[in-house]
Amino acid sequence: MNKVSLIIKKELYRVFGDRKLIFSLYVLPVIITIAIYSLMGSMIGKMTKDITEHTSIVTVVNATGDFKWAIDQSGFADGAEITYIDSDDYATRKNDIEEEIKNGNIDLVVNLPENFDEDAKAYMAGEGGMPSMDVYYNADENYSSRANSVFNSTALSVYKNSLLSERYGDVDLLEAVNINTVSLSKDSTGNATFMKMLLPYMVIMILFAGVMSVGVDAIAGEKERGTLASMLISPVKRREIAAGKMISMAILSGISAVVTTGAMVLSFTLLGSNSGLDGMGFSAVNFSAAQIIELLLIMLSLVLFYVSVISLIAVYSGNTKTANSVISPIYMVIILMGMMTMFRTGSTTPSYLYAIPVYGNALAISDITSNELGLMNFIISFVATIGLGAIITVLVTKAFNNEKLMFNA
Amino acid sequence: MIEINGITKIYKLSAKKKKELKTNKDVKIAVNDLSLIAEPGQITGLLGPNGAGKTTTLRCVSTLLTPNKGYVKVCGHDTVKEAEKVRDSICFLTNEIKLDEHFTVDYLFTFFGRIKNLDDATIEKRKKELFDAFEMNNFKDKKIEELSTGMKQKASIVVNLVNDPEVVIFDEPTSGLDIVTAKAVLDYLKKLRSEGKTVIVSTHIMSEAEKLCDKVAMIIGGRKVIEGTIPEILAETKTDDLEDAFFKLYMENTGADKEESHE
Repeated sequence: MNKVSLIIKKELYRVFGDRKLIFSLYVLPVIITIAIYSLMGSMIGKMTKDITEHTSIVTVVNATGDFKWAIDQSGFADGAEITYIDSDDYATRKNDIEEEIKNGNIDLVVNLPENFDEDAKAYMAGEGGMPSMDVYYNADENYSSRANSVFNSTALSVYKNSLLSERYGDVDLLEAVNINTVSLSKDSTGNATFMKMLLPYMVIMILFAGVMSVGVDAIAGEKERGTLASMLISPVKRREIAAGKMISMAILSGISAVVTTGAMVLSFTLLGSNSGLDGMGFSAVNFSAAQIIELLLIMLSLVLFYVSVISLIAVYSGNTKTANSVISPIYMVIILMGMMTMFRTGSTTPSYLYAIPVYGNALAISDITSNELGLMNFIISFVATIGLGAIITVLVTKAFNNEKLMFNA
Repeated sequence: MIEINGITKIYKLSAKKKKELKTNKDVKIAVNDLSLIAEPGQITGLLGPNGAGKTTTLRCVSTLLTPNKGYVKVCGHDTVKEAEKVRDSICFLTNEIKLDEHFTVDYLFTFFGRIKNLDDATIEKRKKELFDAFEMNNFKDKKIEELSTGMKQKASIVVNLVNDPEVVIFDEPTSGLDIVTAKAVLDYLKKLRSEGKTVIVSTHIMSEAEKLCDKVAMIIGGRKVIEGTIPEILAETKTDDLEDAFFKLYMENTGADKEESHE
């Protein structure tokens, strides 16, 4: 049997023959992913529901008969507990009421001035200026913000329209332009803005974490424990050992990436339909077969690149502690590169940026989600990542032949 | 057969190492122009204090290190140019080389058998022989991590002997072993000698060398100071036992070193 495949088999058996390792590598990340997103989703959902169901505490000062009618007619009164007070009452308690708004005890205060009725009637008759009223709310409070927006779209809207139609007859005459708003995006993008921001970041981070968790131990750990030496005195070429180690690392971390991404997609799908995440684009992403293949190829090139980088660090480190301390800052750079794609503006990104490993891959993944990835940019990203990975792999193989690195001699 | 021909091994010292060794020198000559021949059917012993260069010499023989000068041939193959052929005919046992704790003795035996180009039938045959000889049958399905220190050492020996190597290199064979396991190991080394294998061991236990070795070479400060059968060494040093011989040579040679450094 080929010695590379013998080594790969042993490395895989090492993980899959150990329930504890399977649990920590594959089961735990899935549980955590699903738990985090489920919790996030249900909390957002609960919060949204709570805000919607909350009975707004509203105080209306000096309400006219017409205004009260509008409040009842618009349905605003159904979701609100309204207290009507007069101007004198308001004048004496003004400071207290403002304090109550700040504290979140009152959600909304509508203050109609004393002469409001006359002003409104004059306006309806086509005389005089517009009547005015003051609306107080607290933008920091969810309940208050919602009360304000609902008040605007219901009671106030009904009242305004009744004033206008009284004055001008047909309200539509007041519209300068009839606007039909339709959001247009390329095929399958839908409402995927959030996904477009999140997916590249998630993919490049999860893949790195996967390689990191298996790679450091497979090389630096074995060096530290003295188990690598037993391979080095066996009749097997050093490059075969390096290849066996690196391929098994790629397989193990590839599985972990697929499992974790699967768990993420699963939790988004479960949450998408019944939570506040629905509108954020999770349920709007539908990948075509070609897009999935592109995504998988990018992930493959990234895994190979990561495996080479981590192997190089591990082989140059005397022990796992040193390896991990070198990898930590690199992990932060990787996260930063993923985040950089989140804030991309403008319509075109120069092609040479796609040649930067990790960043270029993140750009390509981001483009896939919006169906904007051109073949040229895809090839640039793929070839550059694989190419650099191959160069680093050669360095790793050379390091396996270096007695100083292998035995701290 | 092992032919060590004038090897010198020099380590560059890092700043940290310099501090550890309390020296200002940039290099350490671990082995200095050392020549030795280990014949088949004999147990050859390398004797010397810690840091004398015994382990470095054995690592050069087992292809792990490349000498700066000189060469080593094992069964006629150069350890640098034909490293893989050399690795096919040797077994190198040391405390520093360990078995992966996650696997069972049985699994590793089969794995290394395949790595060492054996077919499965031969592996099974060797497994029976060695597991019987080292009384490993009750432990073969246990993971290495579940074994005691002595059992781990035995497992390591058994696994490394899978390919019935022509040359057995053993760095400190009884180090860390209890008296019973130590005897089993020494008896097996004698058995290998009787089968015509070349065995080379390093030790700092003189009584062990006296009982075990057909020929010894004493190494002090990286240099070979004497070589021969035990009666030859005793005659040359005019001493009664190997320990006295060693101390006599040690005083002579470390004294000489001091004079050199004064110059």
